[in-house]
Amino acid sequence: MFSLLGGIYLGWSLGANNAANVFGSAVASRMVKFSTAAILASLFVLLGALLEGQAGIETLRGLTSLNPQTAVISSVAAACTVTIMTVFGLPISTSQAAVGAILGIGLLNNQLNLPGLGKVLACWLGTPVGGLIIGITIYKGLAAVYNVANIDLIKSDVLLRVSLIAAGSYGAYALGANNVANVAAVFVGAGLLTVFSATLIGGLSIGCGILTFSRPVMETVGKKLVRLDAFSALVVVLAVAFTAHIYAFVGVPVSTSQAVIGAVLGIGILRGVNTINRRTLMHILVGWFLTPIVACLLAMALNFAIHLRYVPSGSG
Amino acid sequence: MLRVFFKKEYQIQSLMQRYLDELKLTKEHFLQALNSYFDKGLCEEFDFLLNQTHKAESEADDVRYEIETLMYSKALIPESRGDILGLLEALDRIPGLFQLLLYMIQNQKLKIPDFLVQDIRELTTVTLACCDLLCKEVEALFKKTEDIKALVQSIDTNESRCDHIERQIISKIFDSDLDPFEKLQLKEVVIAMGDISDQADRVSRRIYIISIKRRV
Repeated sequence: MFSLLGGIYLGWSLGANNAANVFGSAVASRMVKFSTAAILASLFVLLGALLEGQAGIETLRGLTSLNPQTAVISSVAAACTVTIMTVFGLPISTSQAAVGAILGIGLLNNQLNLPGLGKVLACWLGTPVGGLIIGITIYKGLAAVYNVANIDLIKSDVLLRVSLIAAGSYGAYALGANNVANVAAVFVGAGLLTVFSATLIGGLSIGCGILTFSRPVMETVGKKLVRLDAFSALVVVLAVAFTAHIYAFVGVPVSTSQAVIGAVLGIGILRGVNTINRRTLMHILVGWFLTPIVACLLAMALNFAIHLRYVPSGSG
Repeated sequence: MLRVFFKKEYQIQSLMQRYLDELKLTKEHFLQALNSYFDKGLCEEFDFLLNQTHKAESEADDVRYEIETLMYSKALIPESRGDILGLLEALDRIPGLFQLLLYMIQNQKLKIPDFLVQDIRELTTVTLACCDLLCKEVEALFKKTEDIKALVQSIDTNESRCDHIERQIISKIFDSDLDPFEKLQLKEVVIAMGDISDQADRVSRRIYIISIKRRV
Protein backbone atom coordinates (compact mmCIF):
# COMPACT_ATOMS: atom_id res chain seq x y z
CA MET A 1 0.00 0.00 0.00
CA PHE A 2 2.84 2.40 0.95
CA SER A 3 4.34 1.96 -2.52
CA LEU A 4 1.07 3.19 -4.07
CA LEU A 5 1.11 6.51 -2.19
CA GLY A 6 2.76 8.44 -5.03
CA GLY A 7 0.06 7.28 -7.44
CA ILE A 8 -2.74 7.99 -4.97
CA TYR A 9 -1.41 11.51 -4.39
CA LEU A 10 -1.18 11.99 -8.17
CA GLY A 11 -4.80 10.84 -8.52
CA TRP A 12 -5.91 13.13 -5.71
CA SER A 13 -4.25 16.19 -7.27
CA LEU A 14 -5.61 15.20 -10.70
CA GLY A 15 -9.13 15.14 -9.27
CA ALA A 16 -8.63 18.41 -7.37
CA ASN A 17 -7.33 20.22 -10.46
CA ASN A 18 -9.17 18.74 -13.42
CA ALA A 19 -12.77 18.52 -12.18
CA ALA A 20 -12.84 22.30 -12.77
CA ASN A 21 -12.61 21.71 -16.51
CA VAL A 22 -15.92 19.84 -16.54
CA PHE A 23 -17.93 21.35 -13.68
CA GLY A 24 -16.15 24.65 -13.04
CA SER A 25 -18.47 26.88 -15.05
CA ALA A 26 -21.62 25.42 -13.47
CA VAL A 27 -20.28 25.66 -9.90
CA ALA A 28 -18.60 29.07 -10.19
CA SER A 29 -21.80 30.62 -11.53
CA ARG A 30 -23.87 28.90 -8.79
CA MET A 31 -25.91 27.01 -11.38
CA VAL A 32 -25.06 23.76 -9.63
CA LYS A 33 -24.21 23.32 -5.94
CA PHE A 34 -20.61 22.28 -5.31
CA SER A 35 -21.76 19.21 -3.35
CA THR A 36 -23.97 18.03 -6.27
CA ALA A 37 -21.19 18.64 -8.81
CA ALA A 38 -18.54 16.95 -6.64
CA ILE A 39 -20.69 13.86 -6.00
CA LEU A 40 -21.66 13.54 -9.68
CA ALA A 41 -18.09 14.13 -10.89
CA SER A 42 -16.52 11.64 -8.49
CA LEU A 43 -19.13 8.97 -9.32
CA PHE A 44 -18.71 9.41 -13.07
CA VAL A 45 -14.90 9.57 -12.83
CA LEU A 46 -14.95 6.21 -11.06
CA LEU A 47 -17.36 4.77 -13.64
CA GLY A 48 -15.23 6.02 -16.54
CA ALA A 49 -12.07 4.64 -14.96
CA LEU A 50 -13.61 1.21 -14.34
CA LEU A 51 -15.40 0.86 -17.68
CA GLU A 52 -12.97 2.46 -20.13
CA GLY A 53 -9.68 3.10 -18.35
CA GLN A 54 -7.90 -0.05 -19.58
CA ALA A 55 -6.76 1.24 -22.99
CA GLY A 56 -4.72 4.10 -21.50
CA ILE A 57 -3.16 1.78 -18.95
CA GLU A 58 -2.08 -0.59 -21.73
CA THR A 59 -0.44 2.29 -23.64
CA LEU A 60 1.49 3.74 -20.69
CA ARG A 61 2.63 0.36 -19.31
CA GLY A 62 3.91 -0.44 -22.82
CA LEU A 63 6.20 2.63 -22.93
CA THR A 64 8.95 0.91 -20.94
CA SER A 65 9.42 -2.07 -18.67
CA LEU A 66 9.05 -1.27 -15.00
CA ASN A 67 9.74 -3.08 -11.76
CA PRO A 68 8.09 -2.27 -8.41
CA GLN A 69 10.93 0.09 -7.49
CA THR A 70 10.92 2.08 -10.77
CA ALA A 71 7.10 2.18 -10.70
CA VAL A 72 7.19 3.89 -7.32
CA ILE A 73 9.98 6.24 -8.49
CA SER A 74 8.03 7.31 -11.60
CA SER A 75 4.80 7.88 -9.67
CA VAL A 76 6.61 9.91 -6.98
CA ALA A 77 8.45 11.91 -9.68
CA ALA A 78 5.17 12.67 -11.47
CA ALA A 79 3.50 13.65 -8.20
CA CYS A 80 6.43 15.94 -7.25
CA THR A 81 6.32 17.54 -10.74
CA VAL A 82 2.63 18.33 -10.33
CA THR A 83 3.36 19.91 -6.94
CA ILE A 84 6.32 21.94 -8.26
CA MET A 85 4.32 23.23 -11.26
CA THR A 86 1.44 24.16 -8.95
CA VAL A 87 3.80 26.02 -6.58
CA PHE A 88 5.18 28.02 -9.54
CA GLY A 89 1.64 28.67 -10.78
CA LEU A 90 2.17 26.97 -14.14
CA PRO A 91 -0.60 25.01 -15.86
CA ILE A 92 -0.43 21.34 -14.93
CA SER A 93 -0.91 18.34 -17.17
CA THR A 94 -0.89 15.21 -15.04
CA SER A 95 -0.71 13.14 -18.24
CA GLN A 96 2.50 14.86 -19.29
CA ALA A 97 3.98 14.51 -15.82
CA ALA A 98 3.19 10.76 -15.73
CA VAL A 99 4.55 10.11 -19.23
CA GLY A 100 7.61 12.32 -18.58
CA ALA A 101 8.46 10.28 -15.46
CA ILE A 102 8.04 6.95 -17.32
CA LEU A 103 10.22 8.37 -20.09
CA GLY A 104 12.96 9.18 -17.54
CA ILE A 105 12.97 5.58 -16.28
CA GLY A 106 12.90 4.28 -19.87
CA LEU A 107 15.89 6.44 -20.84
CA LEU A 108 17.90 5.17 -17.87
CA ASN A 109 17.02 1.55 -18.63
CA ASN A 110 17.56 2.13 -22.33
CA GLN A 111 14.20 0.45 -22.90
CA LEU A 112 11.92 2.90 -24.60
CA ASN A 113 9.00 1.99 -26.85
CA LEU A 114 9.52 4.71 -29.46
CA PRO A 115 6.39 3.99 -31.58
CA GLY A 116 4.31 4.11 -28.39
CA LEU A 117 5.96 7.38 -27.37
CA GLY A 118 5.34 8.80 -30.86
CA LYS A 119 1.64 7.95 -30.52
CA VAL A 120 1.51 9.73 -27.15
CA LEU A 121 3.30 12.84 -28.47
CA ALA A 122 1.01 12.98 -31.52
CA CYS A 123 -2.02 12.85 -29.23
CA TRP A 124 -0.61 15.64 -27.05
CA LEU A 125 -0.29 17.83 -30.13
CA GLY A 126 -3.75 16.73 -31.19
CA THR A 127 -5.46 17.59 -27.88
CA PRO A 128 -5.80 21.39 -28.24
CA VAL A 129 -6.37 21.00 -31.99
CA GLY A 130 -9.01 18.33 -31.29
CA GLY A 131 -10.63 20.59 -28.67
CA LEU A 132 -10.69 23.42 -31.21
CA ILE A 133 -12.20 21.37 -34.07
CA ILE A 134 -14.72 19.58 -31.84
CA GLY A 135 -15.60 22.89 -30.13
CA ILE A 136 -16.32 24.58 -33.47
CA THR A 137 -18.37 21.58 -34.72
CA ILE A 138 -20.44 21.34 -31.53
CA TYR A 139 -20.98 25.10 -31.44
CA LYS A 140 -22.30 25.19 -35.01
CA GLY A 141 -24.51 22.11 -34.55
CA LEU A 142 -25.96 23.12 -31.18
CA ALA A 143 -26.44 26.74 -32.24
CA ALA A 144 -28.51 25.64 -35.25
CA VAL A 145 -30.76 23.45 -33.07
CA TYR A 146 -31.01 26.10 -30.32
CA ASN A 147 -31.98 28.86 -32.75
CA VAL A 148 -34.58 26.73 -34.54
CA ALA A 149 -36.12 25.66 -31.20
CA ASN A 150 -36.72 29.36 -30.37
CA ILE A 151 -37.67 28.68 -26.74
CA ASP A 152 -38.62 31.18 -24.04
CA LEU A 153 -36.22 32.63 -21.48
CA ILE A 154 -37.05 30.26 -18.61
CA LYS A 155 -37.03 27.08 -20.73
CA SER A 156 -33.77 28.17 -22.35
CA ASP A 157 -32.28 28.73 -18.91
CA VAL A 158 -33.45 25.38 -17.57
CA LEU A 159 -32.26 23.60 -20.71
CA LEU A 160 -28.79 25.15 -20.41
CA ARG A 161 -28.51 24.17 -16.75
CA VAL A 162 -29.63 20.57 -17.37
CA SER A 163 -27.25 20.35 -20.32
CA LEU A 164 -24.36 21.71 -18.24
CA ILE A 165 -24.97 19.08 -15.55
CA ALA A 166 -25.27 16.29 -18.15
CA ALA A 167 -22.20 17.50 -20.07
CA GLY A 168 -20.25 17.86 -16.81
CA SER A 169 -21.13 14.30 -15.81
CA TYR A 170 -20.12 13.01 -19.23
CA GLY A 171 -16.92 15.07 -18.99
CA ALA A 172 -16.15 13.49 -15.61
CA TYR A 173 -16.74 10.04 -17.12
CA ALA A 174 -14.34 10.84 -19.99
CA LEU A 175 -11.82 12.28 -17.50
CA GLY A 176 -11.86 9.05 -15.49
CA ALA A 177 -11.60 6.88 -18.62
CA ASN A 178 -8.76 8.95 -20.04
CA ASN A 179 -6.71 9.97 -17.02
CA VAL A 180 -6.83 6.96 -14.70
CA ALA A 181 -3.80 5.55 -16.56
CA ASN A 182 -1.68 8.47 -15.28
CA VAL A 183 -2.32 7.30 -11.75
CA ALA A 184 -2.22 3.55 -12.05
CA ALA A 185 -0.47 2.38 -15.25
CA VAL A 186 3.00 2.17 -13.72
CA PHE A 187 1.78 -0.17 -10.99
CA VAL A 188 0.14 -2.48 -13.53
CA GLY A 189 3.37 -2.40 -15.57
CA ALA A 190 5.37 -3.41 -12.50
CA GLY A 191 2.93 -6.19 -11.64
CA LEU A 192 1.91 -4.52 -8.36
CA LEU A 193 -1.77 -4.26 -9.34
CA THR A 194 -4.21 -5.93 -11.72
CA VAL A 195 -5.89 -3.70 -14.33
CA PHE A 196 -9.19 -3.78 -12.38
CA SER A 197 -7.65 -2.92 -9.00
CA ALA A 198 -5.55 -0.20 -10.70
CA THR A 199 -8.63 1.44 -12.27
CA LEU A 200 -10.50 1.10 -8.97
CA ILE A 201 -7.73 2.68 -6.87
CA GLY A 202 -7.07 5.30 -9.57
CA GLY A 203 -10.76 6.17 -9.91
CA LEU A 204 -11.21 6.37 -6.13
CA SER A 205 -8.16 8.60 -5.63
CA ILE A 206 -9.30 10.99 -8.41
CA GLY A 207 -12.79 11.00 -6.91
CA CYS A 208 -11.31 11.73 -3.50
CA GLY A 209 -9.44 14.72 -4.95
CA ILE A 210 -12.69 16.03 -6.45
CA LEU A 211 -14.63 15.63 -3.20
CA THR A 212 -12.00 17.15 -0.92
CA PHE A 213 -10.14 19.88 -2.78
CA SER A 214 -11.65 20.75 -6.15
CA ARG A 215 -13.81 23.66 -4.94
CA PRO A 216 -11.18 26.46 -4.99
CA VAL A 217 -9.94 25.39 -8.44
CA MET A 218 -13.53 25.16 -9.72
CA GLU A 219 -14.18 28.70 -8.47
CA THR A 220 -11.12 30.19 -10.21
CA VAL A 221 -11.08 28.16 -13.44
CA GLY A 222 -14.87 28.22 -13.66
CA LYS A 223 -15.05 32.01 -13.46
CA LYS A 224 -12.74 32.26 -16.49
CA LEU A 225 -15.11 29.98 -18.41
CA VAL A 226 -18.21 31.79 -17.21
CA ARG A 227 -16.88 35.01 -18.76
CA LEU A 228 -17.99 33.29 -21.92
CA ASP A 229 -21.78 32.95 -21.96
CA ALA A 230 -23.62 29.88 -20.63
CA PHE A 231 -24.07 28.45 -24.12
CA SER A 232 -20.35 28.74 -24.95
CA ALA A 233 -19.42 27.28 -21.55
CA LEU A 234 -21.62 24.28 -22.38
CA VAL A 235 -19.88 23.91 -25.76
CA VAL A 236 -16.46 24.01 -24.04
CA VAL A 237 -17.43 21.32 -21.52
CA LEU A 238 -18.85 19.09 -24.28
CA ALA A 239 -15.77 19.60 -26.46
CA VAL A 240 -13.49 18.65 -23.54
CA ALA A 241 -15.61 15.58 -22.79
CA PHE A 242 -15.61 14.38 -26.42
CA THR A 243 -11.88 15.05 -26.85
CA ALA A 244 -10.96 13.20 -23.65
CA HIS A 245 -13.32 10.33 -24.55
CA ILE A 246 -11.87 9.95 -28.06
CA TYR A 247 -8.35 9.77 -26.62
CA ALA A 248 -9.58 7.28 -24.02
CA PHE A 249 -10.61 5.04 -26.95
CA VAL A 250 -7.21 5.62 -28.58
CA GLY A 251 -5.63 4.80 -25.22
CA VAL A 252 -3.60 7.95 -24.64
CA PRO A 253 -4.07 10.06 -21.51
CA VAL A 254 -4.26 13.74 -22.46
CA SER A 255 -4.68 17.05 -20.67
CA THR A 256 -8.27 18.26 -20.32
CA SER A 257 -6.93 21.76 -19.61
CA GLN A 258 -5.35 21.82 -23.08
CA ALA A 259 -8.62 20.63 -24.62
CA VAL A 260 -10.36 23.54 -22.82
CA ILE A 261 -7.88 26.01 -24.34
CA GLY A 262 -8.51 24.54 -27.82
CA ALA A 263 -12.29 24.74 -27.44
CA VAL A 264 -12.22 28.31 -26.08
CA LEU A 265 -9.97 29.35 -28.99
CA GLY A 266 -12.40 27.67 -31.42
CA ILE A 267 -15.32 29.69 -30.04
CA GLY A 268 -13.18 32.82 -30.31
CA ILE A 269 -12.48 32.07 -33.99
CA LEU A 270 -16.19 31.50 -34.71
CA ARG A 271 -17.23 34.72 -32.99
CA GLY A 272 -14.28 36.73 -34.23
CA VAL A 273 -13.20 37.68 -30.72
CA ASN A 274 -10.05 37.20 -28.70
CA THR A 275 -11.01 34.70 -26.00
CA ILE A 276 -7.54 34.03 -24.62
CA ASN A 277 -4.78 36.61 -24.25
CA ARG A 278 -1.22 36.07 -25.48
CA ARG A 279 0.23 35.94 -21.96
CA THR A 280 -2.08 33.06 -20.98
CA LEU A 281 -1.12 31.19 -24.15
CA MET A 282 2.60 31.68 -23.40
CA HIS A 283 2.00 30.45 -19.86
CA ILE A 284 0.34 27.31 -21.22
CA LEU A 285 3.11 26.69 -23.77
CA VAL A 286 5.81 26.95 -21.10
CA GLY A 287 3.89 24.49 -18.91
CA TRP A 288 3.35 22.21 -21.94
CA PHE A 289 7.12 21.93 -22.56
CA LEU A 290 8.34 22.04 -18.97
CA THR A 291 6.04 19.43 -17.39
CA PRO A 292 7.36 16.29 -19.17
CA ILE A 293 10.96 17.56 -19.01
CA VAL A 294 10.82 18.26 -15.25
CA ALA A 295 9.12 14.90 -14.60
CA CYS A 296 11.69 13.06 -16.75
CA LEU A 297 14.67 14.71 -14.99
CA LEU A 298 13.12 14.19 -11.58
CA ALA A 299 12.54 10.47 -12.23
CA MET A 300 16.14 10.11 -13.41
CA ALA A 301 17.46 11.98 -10.36
CA LEU A 302 15.34 9.91 -7.96
CA ASN A 303 16.44 6.69 -9.62
CA PHE A 304 20.08 7.82 -9.40
CA ALA A 305 19.68 8.77 -5.72
CA ILE A 306 18.11 5.43 -4.81
CA HIS A 307 20.97 3.52 -6.40
CA LEU A 308 23.67 5.45 -4.55
CA ARG A 309 25.60 3.15 -2.21
CA TYR A 310 27.52 4.22 0.86
CA VAL A 311 31.05 2.95 0.59
CA PRO A 312 33.04 3.44 3.82
CA SER A 313 36.40 5.07 3.10
CA GLY A 314 38.49 2.53 5.01
CA SER A 315 36.87 -0.58 3.57
CA GLY A 316 39.45 -1.05 0.77
CA MET B 1 -40.89 16.86 -14.84
CA LEU B 2 -38.49 19.80 -15.11
CA ARG B 3 -40.82 21.89 -12.94
CA VAL B 4 -40.05 19.58 -10.00
CA PHE B 5 -36.29 20.16 -10.22
CA PHE B 6 -36.42 23.81 -11.28
CA LYS B 7 -39.11 25.17 -8.96
CA LYS B 8 -37.43 28.57 -8.52
CA GLU B 9 -37.21 29.16 -12.27
CA TYR B 10 -40.88 28.41 -12.88
CA GLN B 11 -41.78 30.40 -9.77
CA ILE B 12 -40.06 33.40 -11.38
CA GLN B 13 -42.16 32.84 -14.51
CA SER B 14 -45.41 32.89 -12.52
CA LEU B 15 -44.25 35.85 -10.39
CA MET B 16 -43.50 37.81 -13.56
CA GLN B 17 -47.09 37.13 -14.66
CA ARG B 18 -48.32 38.34 -11.27
CA TYR B 19 -46.21 41.48 -11.66
CA LEU B 20 -47.75 42.12 -15.07
CA ASP B 21 -51.25 41.63 -13.59
CA GLU B 22 -50.46 44.26 -10.94
CA LEU B 23 -49.05 46.58 -13.62
CA LYS B 24 -52.25 46.18 -15.67
CA LEU B 25 -54.33 46.84 -12.55
CA THR B 26 -52.32 50.01 -11.79
CA LYS B 27 -52.93 51.10 -15.38
CA GLU B 28 -56.69 50.40 -15.08
CA HIS B 29 -57.02 52.43 -11.86
CA PHE B 30 -54.93 55.21 -13.40
CA LEU B 31 -57.23 55.38 -16.43
CA GLN B 32 -60.37 55.36 -14.26
CA ALA B 33 -58.90 58.09 -12.04
CA LEU B 34 -58.09 60.27 -15.08
CA ASN B 35 -61.56 59.72 -16.56
CA SER B 36 -63.12 60.64 -13.24
CA TYR B 37 -60.97 63.80 -13.14
CA PHE B 38 -61.90 64.79 -16.69
CA ASP B 39 -65.62 64.24 -15.96
CA LYS B 40 -65.92 65.55 -12.41
CA GLY B 41 -62.64 67.29 -11.56
CA LEU B 42 -60.94 66.69 -8.22
CA CYS B 43 -63.48 64.72 -6.18
CA GLU B 44 -63.76 61.84 -3.69
CA GLU B 45 -63.96 59.30 -6.48
CA PHE B 46 -60.64 60.59 -7.91
CA ASP B 47 -59.01 60.34 -4.45
CA PHE B 48 -60.33 56.82 -4.05
CA LEU B 49 -59.02 55.73 -7.48
CA LEU B 50 -55.66 57.41 -6.80
CA ASN B 51 -55.48 55.37 -3.60
CA GLN B 52 -56.32 52.20 -5.57
CA THR B 53 -53.55 53.09 -8.07
CA HIS B 54 -51.13 53.53 -5.18
CA LYS B 55 -52.14 50.18 -3.68
CA ALA B 56 -51.69 48.33 -6.97
CA GLU B 57 -48.30 50.03 -7.47
CA SER B 58 -47.24 48.90 -3.97
CA GLU B 59 -48.40 45.35 -4.76
CA ALA B 60 -46.31 45.43 -7.94
CA ASP B 61 -43.34 46.58 -5.83
CA ASP B 62 -43.86 43.67 -3.43
CA VAL B 63 -43.91 41.18 -6.31
CA ARG B 64 -40.76 42.78 -7.70
CA TYR B 65 -38.95 42.33 -4.36
CA GLU B 66 -40.15 38.71 -4.22
CA ILE B 67 -38.64 38.09 -7.66
CA GLU B 68 -35.40 39.82 -6.65
CA THR B 69 -35.14 37.71 -3.50
CA LEU B 70 -35.58 34.55 -5.59
CA MET B 71 -32.87 35.77 -7.95
CA TYR B 72 -30.45 36.31 -5.07
CA SER B 73 -31.13 32.73 -3.95
CA LYS B 74 -29.35 31.67 -7.17
CA ALA B 75 -32.30 30.97 -9.42
CA LEU B 76 -31.48 31.15 -13.16
CA ILE B 77 -28.07 31.42 -14.82
CA PRO B 78 -26.08 34.59 -14.01
CA GLU B 79 -26.69 36.41 -17.29
CA SER B 80 -30.45 35.79 -17.06
CA ARG B 81 -30.44 37.06 -13.47
CA GLY B 82 -28.83 40.32 -14.61
CA ASP B 83 -31.22 40.66 -17.54
CA ILE B 84 -34.36 40.10 -15.47
CA LEU B 85 -33.23 42.36 -12.61
CA GLY B 86 -32.50 45.14 -15.12
CA LEU B 87 -35.81 44.57 -16.89
CA LEU B 88 -37.76 44.72 -13.62
CA GLU B 89 -36.03 47.92 -12.56
CA ALA B 90 -36.87 49.58 -15.89
CA LEU B 91 -40.42 48.19 -15.99
CA ASP B 92 -41.15 49.26 -12.43
CA ARG B 93 -40.72 52.93 -13.33
CA ILE B 94 -43.99 52.79 -15.32
CA PRO B 95 -46.44 52.20 -12.40
CA GLY B 96 -44.39 54.81 -10.52
CA LEU B 97 -45.04 57.33 -13.32
CA PHE B 98 -48.81 56.55 -13.26
CA GLN B 99 -48.88 57.32 -9.57
CA LEU B 100 -46.68 60.41 -9.91
CA LEU B 101 -48.99 61.90 -12.53
CA LEU B 102 -52.10 61.44 -10.40
CA TYR B 103 -50.33 62.97 -7.37
CA MET B 104 -49.31 65.95 -9.52
CA ILE B 105 -52.96 66.52 -10.42
CA GLN B 106 -54.08 66.13 -6.81
CA ASN B 107 -51.33 68.07 -5.03
CA GLN B 108 -51.13 70.95 -7.50
CA LYS B 109 -54.96 71.20 -7.72
CA LEU B 110 -54.54 71.10 -11.46
CA LYS B 111 -57.22 72.49 -13.75
CA ILE B 112 -57.13 71.30 -17.34
CA PRO B 113 -58.78 73.81 -19.70
CA ASP B 114 -61.55 72.42 -21.93
CA PHE B 115 -59.64 73.03 -25.17
CA LEU B 116 -56.95 70.58 -24.02
CA VAL B 117 -59.14 67.75 -22.65
CA GLN B 118 -59.62 65.98 -25.97
CA ASP B 119 -55.90 66.04 -26.79
CA ILE B 120 -54.90 64.82 -23.34
CA ARG B 121 -57.47 62.02 -23.56
CA GLU B 122 -55.93 60.99 -26.90
CA LEU B 123 -52.42 61.15 -25.42
CA THR B 124 -53.61 58.95 -22.53
CA THR B 125 -55.16 56.40 -24.93
CA VAL B 126 -52.00 56.06 -27.05
CA THR B 127 -49.76 55.99 -23.94
CA LEU B 128 -51.80 53.20 -22.38
CA ALA B 129 -51.79 51.30 -25.70
CA CYS B 130 -47.98 51.40 -25.45
CA CYS B 131 -48.23 49.88 -21.96
CA ASP B 132 -50.60 47.13 -23.15
CA LEU B 133 -48.21 46.22 -25.95
CA LEU B 134 -45.32 46.26 -23.49
CA CYS B 135 -47.13 43.79 -21.21
CA LYS B 136 -47.62 41.50 -24.24
CA GLU B 137 -43.92 41.83 -25.04
CA VAL B 138 -42.90 40.82 -21.51
CA GLU B 139 -45.26 37.82 -21.76
CA ALA B 140 -43.72 36.94 -25.11
CA LEU B 141 -40.25 36.95 -23.52
CA PHE B 142 -41.36 34.52 -20.82
CA LYS B 143 -43.84 32.41 -22.81
CA LYS B 144 -43.05 32.96 -26.50
CA THR B 145 -46.68 33.96 -27.10
CA GLU B 146 -46.05 36.61 -29.76
CA ASP B 147 -43.34 37.92 -32.06
CA ILE B 148 -41.22 40.31 -29.98
CA LYS B 149 -39.87 42.22 -32.98
CA ALA B 150 -43.38 43.06 -34.23
CA LEU B 151 -44.35 44.28 -30.75
CA VAL B 152 -41.21 46.48 -30.55
CA GLN B 153 -42.20 48.10 -33.85
CA SER B 154 -45.79 48.70 -32.70
CA ILE B 155 -44.59 50.30 -29.44
CA ASP B 156 -42.14 52.45 -31.37
CA THR B 157 -44.94 53.66 -33.68
CA ASN B 158 -47.17 54.46 -30.70
CA GLU B 159 -44.35 56.24 -28.90
CA SER B 160 -43.73 58.45 -31.94
CA ARG B 161 -47.44 59.23 -32.03
CA CYS B 162 -47.29 60.17 -28.33
CA ASP B 163 -44.34 62.51 -28.98
CA HIS B 164 -46.30 64.16 -31.76
CA ILE B 165 -49.42 64.69 -29.61
CA GLU B 166 -47.25 65.90 -26.73
CA ARG B 167 -45.64 68.57 -28.93
CA GLN B 168 -49.05 69.57 -30.26
CA ILE B 169 -50.47 70.00 -26.75
CA ILE B 170 -47.47 72.03 -25.56
CA SER B 171 -47.83 74.33 -28.58
CA LYS B 172 -51.53 74.80 -27.82
CA ILE B 173 -50.71 75.58 -24.17
CA PHE B 174 -48.22 78.27 -25.07
CA ASP B 175 -50.43 79.70 -27.84
CA SER B 176 -53.25 80.19 -25.33
CA ASP B 177 -53.99 83.11 -23.01
CA LEU B 178 -53.47 81.05 -19.88
CA ASP B 179 -51.56 82.38 -16.92
CA PRO B 180 -47.77 81.69 -17.41
CA PHE B 181 -47.70 79.71 -14.17
CA GLU B 182 -50.60 77.52 -15.38
CA LYS B 183 -48.81 77.05 -18.73
CA LEU B 184 -45.69 75.70 -16.99
CA GLN B 185 -47.80 73.56 -14.68
CA LEU B 186 -49.70 71.98 -17.62
CA LYS B 187 -46.51 71.51 -19.61
CA GLU B 188 -45.02 69.58 -16.70
CA VAL B 189 -48.03 67.24 -16.59
CA VAL B 190 -47.95 66.66 -20.36
CA ILE B 191 -44.22 65.87 -20.22
CA ALA B 192 -44.83 63.44 -17.33
CA MET B 193 -47.47 61.71 -19.45
CA GLY B 194 -45.01 61.55 -22.37
CA ASP B 195 -42.41 59.98 -20.06
CA ILE B 196 -44.63 56.91 -19.71
CA SER B 197 -44.52 56.07 -23.43
CA ASP B 198 -40.79 56.96 -23.56
CA GLN B 199 -40.12 54.53 -20.73
CA ALA B 200 -42.31 51.85 -22.39
CA ASP B 201 -40.24 52.27 -25.54
CA ARG B 202 -36.96 51.95 -23.59
CA VAL B 203 -38.15 48.79 -21.82
CA SER B 204 -39.40 47.38 -25.12
CA ARG B 205 -35.94 47.80 -26.69
CA ARG B 206 -34.31 46.24 -23.64
CA ILE B 207 -36.58 43.18 -23.99
CA TYR B 208 -35.66 42.94 -27.66
CA ILE B 209 -31.95 42.92 -26.75
CA ILE B 210 -32.56 40.25 -24.08
CA SER B 211 -34.32 38.08 -26.68
CA ILE B 212 -31.70 38.48 -29.42
CA LYS B 213 -28.94 37.80 -26.88
CA ARG B 214 -30.47 34.33 -26.60
CA ARG B 215 -29.85 33.58 -30.24
CA VAL B 216 -26.39 32.12 -30.89
